[in-house]
Amino acid sequence: MATEVVEKPGEEAPPTGKVGTRFDLEKETELRFEVEAGEAAEQVELELISGMAEVFGSELNRNKKYTFGPGSKIAVFTWQGCSVNLFGKPEVAYVSKDTPMLLYLNTHAALEQMRKQAERENERGPRVMVVGPTDVGKSTVCRVLLNYAVRVGRRPTLVELDVGQNGVSVPGTLSALCIERPADVEEGFSVQAPLVYHFGSTTPGTNIKLYNKLTSCLAEVFSRRCEVNRKASVGGCIINTCGWVKGSGYQALVHCASTFQVDVVLVLDQERLYNELKRDLPHFVRVVLLPKSGGVAERSKKCRRDAREEKIREYFYGFRGLSFYPFSFEVRFSDIRIYKIGAPSIPDSCLPLGMSQDDTQLKLVPVTPGRDLTYHVLSVSSIEDGEEGARKGIVEAPVCGFIVVTFVDTQTQMMKVLSPAPRPLPRHTLLIMDIRFMDMK
Amino acid sequence: MADQNKPNVDEEFYNEVLSPTQLFAARSRTHKIPVRGQKDFVPDESEDQQQRLEQSLREHWSLLSEERVERTGNLVKALWIPEDHVVELQSPAGKFWQTMGFSSEGRQFLHPEEALYLMECGNVQVFYQDLPFSIQDGYEHFLSSSSVSLQQYQVFGHLKRLGYVVLRFDSSSETTSYVRRLNLPSARERAAKQLKRKRSPSPEEASTSQTCSHVKSHTEESGKDGNLPDVPLREISEDQTTSMSPAEEGRVRSWWTPHPPMDSDHGRPYSSSSRWDFSSIWFPDVGSGGAQQEAPDPSLLPGSVSVGYCDTAPWSQRVNLRAVKMSPKEQRTEPKDVNEDMEVRRCRNWSEYEALRSRRASEREQQAADHLWSGEVTPLHDPHQPISTVELLEKISIIRSTDLLQDTSSLQPWPPWTITFNVYQPDTVCDFKKSRPGKPHCRMCVCSFDDPVPDLRALKVLSRQSGEDVPVVVAVVDYGDISFYTFKDFHLPRDVFS
Repeated sequence: MATEVVEKPGEEAPPTGKVGTRFDLEKETELRFEVEAGEAAEQVELELISGMAEVFGSELNRNKKYTFGPGSKIAVFTWQGCSVNLFGKPEVAYVSKDTPMLLYLNTHAALEQMRKQAERENERGPRVMVVGPTDVGKSTVCRVLLNYAVRVGRRPTLVELDVGQNGVSVPGTLSALCIERPADVEEGFSVQAPLVYHFGSTTPGTNIKLYNKLTSCLAEVFSRRCEVNRKASVGGCIINTCGWVKGSGYQALVHCASTFQVDVVLVLDQERLYNELKRDLPHFVRVVLLPKSGGVAERSKKCRRDAREEKIREYFYGFRGLSFYPFSFEVRFSDIRIYKIGAPSIPDSCLPLGMSQDDTQLKLVPVTPGRDLTYHVLSVSSIEDGEEGARKGIVEAPVCGFIVVTFVDTQTQMMKVLSPAPRPLPRHTLLIMDIRFMDMK
Repeated sequence: MADQNKPNVDEEFYNEVLSPTQLFAARSRTHKIPVRGQKDFVPDESEDQQQRLEQSLREHWSLLSEERVERTGNLVKALWIPEDHVVELQSPAGKFWQTMGFSSEGRQFLHPEEALYLMECGNVQVFYQDLPFSIQDGYEHFLSSSSVSLQQYQVFGHLKRLGYVVLRFDSSSETTSYVRRLNLPSARERAAKQLKRKRSPSPEEASTSQTCSHVKSHTEESGKDGNLPDVPLREISEDQTTSMSPAEEGRVRSWWTPHPPMDSDHGRPYSSSSRWDFSSIWFPDVGSGGAQQEAPDPSLLPGSVSVGYCDTAPWSQRVNLRAVKMSPKEQRTEPKDVNEDMEVRRCRNWSEYEALRSRRASEREQQAADHLWSGEVTPLHDPHQPISTVELLEKISIIRSTDLLQDTSSLQPWPPWTITFNVYQPDTVCDFKKSRPGKPHCRMCVCSFDDPVPDLRALKVLSRQSGEDVPVVVAVVDYGDISFYTFKDFHLPRDVFS
């Protein structure tokens, strides 16, 4: 480890007055640092002084301070060598030479070759599925690959199938986002006009049929987009998946591979999964095993929950709770219809002849508003349930936004909601999530 | 058969007058009909059975041989006119005239079955060539296959005794208007207003020989399904086969099948080759053992990144190689490599692979019952094709419902199956008008127990003769026993999905 730490007495005097630590990185090494989690934790600032560096594929600007909030786990990588300053007290900060970035870059190079071929032959570009168990850096690999792709002028699509830790929208959703510029170092990809589907829970296991159905919906929409948008077609997509790789979760991966007709599957850090996919996917699908980065930290349950909550907060209040100002208003029960997707399962012997359990898992069940609705996140469906025929469409329709119930008054038949837009609600069909959000900050 | 004869013209023999003692004896005679008891189906050669049969036979003979005693004044005199097959009344008619007989040119007539019935009841005495008829004579002369058969008379008599009004049914074409008039709902009301009994000769009525009678009876109606049109099976199976292929296609992702337009512009089919040549596109695959690769073409890399060669070997031991413990549920049952299959190896892209898989799936599903699909006649529905209950019911309803009156216009009357009588309910007797009998309660078709069960065509012919909403009852005569059957339209329950 060629780490050279030079204590700077803070002569550059950052406005916060924090102590700066200077790191000089050799080429192809990375600085990893973690910011302490928790309310009271101090933010850490990063500044590139010389050379070139990138954070998960996004280049850093020289002499610009990047702020990282509590709980951040950042890796600053350099291909050429650089010097950076860290201000504040990171929980841990070290330089590592041991990084699989070169493999990721070569993966990108291979994908770029495919895009070039697609462009030449007027075909569709590579569709890549990133799979692996939890905490191996799937989202990060996606981010790196997307950033590289967009930096060479591609317009790839991020398909986010991780309902637990959704990088695009709130948890409990499946989404797709067209990437047009590299991710912001602090905020991540700018979320503009994402395609979001309501799933309602943080694990696909609660309704695997619905999960697969929505995966198919996303695949269909993406394919249609590819037909009309040449750039999106050549750019291909990068699919981020859940960390559930056993049983039904594994089946969901195979299903996803076939509906999206993926060309490349990147397996992160699990040989078993790699071998299984090689066995179960046809030969024309390239299955690639990649190592995980040594910097990937295991996240605790609480950590995941906090990340989810932060994501919802970000939806309403903007990044770091600064940029957006949500509205709070009252909604009459009579003006809305709340549904839950998936009826409780009943034994097959009790089902009508010719009906299978699949039907109940995709069924819309009306929910009577009550006090237990409080703090639940509700998706606002883009389809109204006017006639009976539209019912089925609601399950497969994207959502146009989310609201949170903050208070329910059963006496007056009203509920108070937190909404990103002023009243009235654009649609009156709401889908309830298992996920709750308490607006405590 | 003993008749009570009345002195009429010359013959003293028939002019028998009973002495008071004889009259008393006649009055005190028991009128009970002997009980027949249980039926013996097979002669068992036993003494006991023999005796019982003889006893029963004796009782019947004695019943038949009994002399009827009637008052001379009560008997209406009538004359048998064999040429016209009618009986003309010679003296004023009794109460029976309300429901029986007809007038023509100022004369009153009875149909032979009416005359026979009234003779049996002891209301009429019929003369022929100045000699009174015995009841046996009546049976011999009045009943013939050209007018009223014995079976028809049995039904007539049975219904009359039960209180019903029984009129002859006439289906001849010149009376269709008349029949239609019968069915007019207002016919009876108008008839009720017509207080005076119509006696004037009406040529139309004369030609439409109608039978009036008044009977009390109970019809045993056993409903049967009469809807059995034969829809050709072939047609259905063709529907089946044509509908199968799009459903199979539907299983493949349909949004992939239409190729983007640029493919055709380029003049090469979408699935011409395996698109990616992964031997020239190098992925840093740790799983495939150590490999070194020269630095990628800088044009592929973002920004000013330039790197050296890439070696995967050091990483190969650093990935997670642990075997993952799986619960039995998570254990996959089929640990076979899909790519061992040569057909899978031949697939060059997902579309072909999916097509192969769905083909395989349908083959596998059908294997068990393949023979069912091999013949000319195939099952109506492949159980593996998802279909809603509504569609399924539509599909399997090869036996379509039909109304008995549907498509009958082309059917010609069919001789054995004809309607003989119109039957009116006993409770209508008090305002019954022969001239305007109104809508009958039912129409009676008489057949023998030996006749075959009427088929759908016969039923349709009968329904057509009867017209709307008058049911046709088939009276089946089994020697002395008469049973009544009717065929009713009904609809199979179809509200399963509504």
